[in-house]
Amino acid sequence: MLKFLVFAALLLFAAPAHAMHISEGILPLPWAVAWYVVALPFVALGIRQLNALSRQDLSYKPLAGLMAAVVFIISCMPVPVPTAGTCSHPCGTGMAAILLGPLASTVIASVSLLLQALFLSHGGLSTLGANIVSMGVVGSLAGYLTFKGLRAMGASLAVAAFFAGIQADWATYLVTSVELASGIRGAEPFLPLLEKIMLAFVPTQLPLGILEGAMTVGMVVLLKRKRPDILVRMNVLEAREVKGNG
Amino acid sequence: MHQHLDHNGACFLSLIDGRVKLLTALALLVMVLSAGGWLFPLVTAGLCITVCRMRGVPIKTLLLRFAEPGFIILMIVLLKLFFTGKSPLFTIHLAGLEISGYREGLSEGLAIGSRITGGVAVMATLVVFTPFTELMAALAWLRVPRVFIDITIFAWRYLFLLFDDAKVIYSAQKNRLGYSGYRKGLRSFGTLTGTLVIKAFDSSQSITTAMVQRGYDGTMPMLKQKPFRSVEVAAGCAFLMCMGMLWSI
Repeated sequence: MLKFLVFAALLLFAAPAHAMHISEGILPLPWAVAWYVVALPFVALGIRQLNALSRQDLSYKPLAGLMAAVVFIISCMPVPVPTAGTCSHPCGTGMAAILLGPLASTVIASVSLLLQALFLSHGGLSTLGANIVSMGVVGSLAGYLTFKGLRAMGASLAVAAFFAGIQADWATYLVTSVELASGIRGAEPFLPLLEKIMLAFVPTQLPLGILEGAMTVGMVVLLKRKRPDILVRMNVLEAREVKGNG
Repeated sequence: MHQHLDHNGACFLSLIDGRVKLLTALALLVMVLSAGGWLFPLVTAGLCITVCRMRGVPIKTLLLRFAEPGFIILMIVLLKLFFTGKSPLFTIHLAGLEISGYREGLSEGLAIGSRITGGVAVMATLVVFTPFTELMAALAWLRVPRVFIDITIFAWRYLFLLFDDAKVIYSAQKNRLGYSGYRKGLRSFGTLTGTLVIKAFDSSQSITTAMVQRGYDGTMPMLKQKPFRSVEVAAGCAFLMCMGMLWSI
């Protein structure tokens, strides 16, 4: 009971944290290296795909760079979280994964994370691997697979985008919690610490996931209304679907 | 966001080869992460902050840089203090309840906190004394794939333009009460994101057309690396050896 009260107090303090990325230096060296090893194959596959695509279309690299800038800006934008009474910020990887696919989105997230680590101290160079795994790999894959899965089941573009945004955000924070718990636990048992960290994320991330879903819907709906050609070019929609809508 | 200074200034650290600075920073980061206690990371942080201050980096800039990591340090120290360990350090009586802080938890929390401080200070120093293009050239020299470097350069180049666009759209939406309620706010934020994506797509096309006309063949030009200067390499090694001796104590 006592511990619960202390923990509740910590949660109140934790609310304003812009706890998007794992900060520089939190992870001990073996864990930092391990997460780099996990991230590397996905980044390598993404780079291979981007290399192939940019050979076919010279505008692909600038496009990927600009999308990385968009992800950077979105994840720097303070957004009010009603339940916590404070601000946090979305990831933006679900949106990138829907448009460019999960592998390219992993590279885009990596670029965005590198820039944030270098110039804003959001995340870090030693924790870049861990942040790529949570936000780039898992966030992108969760968003992309949810979107494609729901679309295959006949869900509308907006519904699929909404759940893709939510899944990308929540999956990112689930993995971030695992990374943090494994990195800082010391001699403490893993699972109780994981529970505490996940609970600490709940007040901001639960509503923020929904907000990220709404943001993804807003983006997709706007593109469909104003520039459906982009959605067709990125294989999000088929040309006949756009024509069908008039 | 621009935290690096005018690199034309007469400071010896600004004139050192970017590769030497990057390798030194990475080695220092490894030492900070693998340090047993809290002394080495804090000494490293102190050294880096002193160098930055001597170079004229404003305290406000450094505080901004440390704001988020500082908050994370506080949270981790509190989490560890109250939940890790068996030897009570102090007990607080609060509304009839007893809450204990533990010695082991405090020690672990401070060790993690010092690692964060040291790591952030090392990265801040690297960025302050190394221009972006030099940093990218150093990463390319470390065999980071060119496509990754090229995308990072594009992102950095157009980040500020898109950021300005985002600010203009945001204030226009705000002026039209676009964020006056949660529903409206969500819709406005979605529209803002969508508009940025459209701008990114359109800009990528026009940038490519302009660059192709100027001879772009799919690869961005990179700074040409000069051969290493033995004085710089020797200075870097000597510095790391000193820090290594401190690390091993």
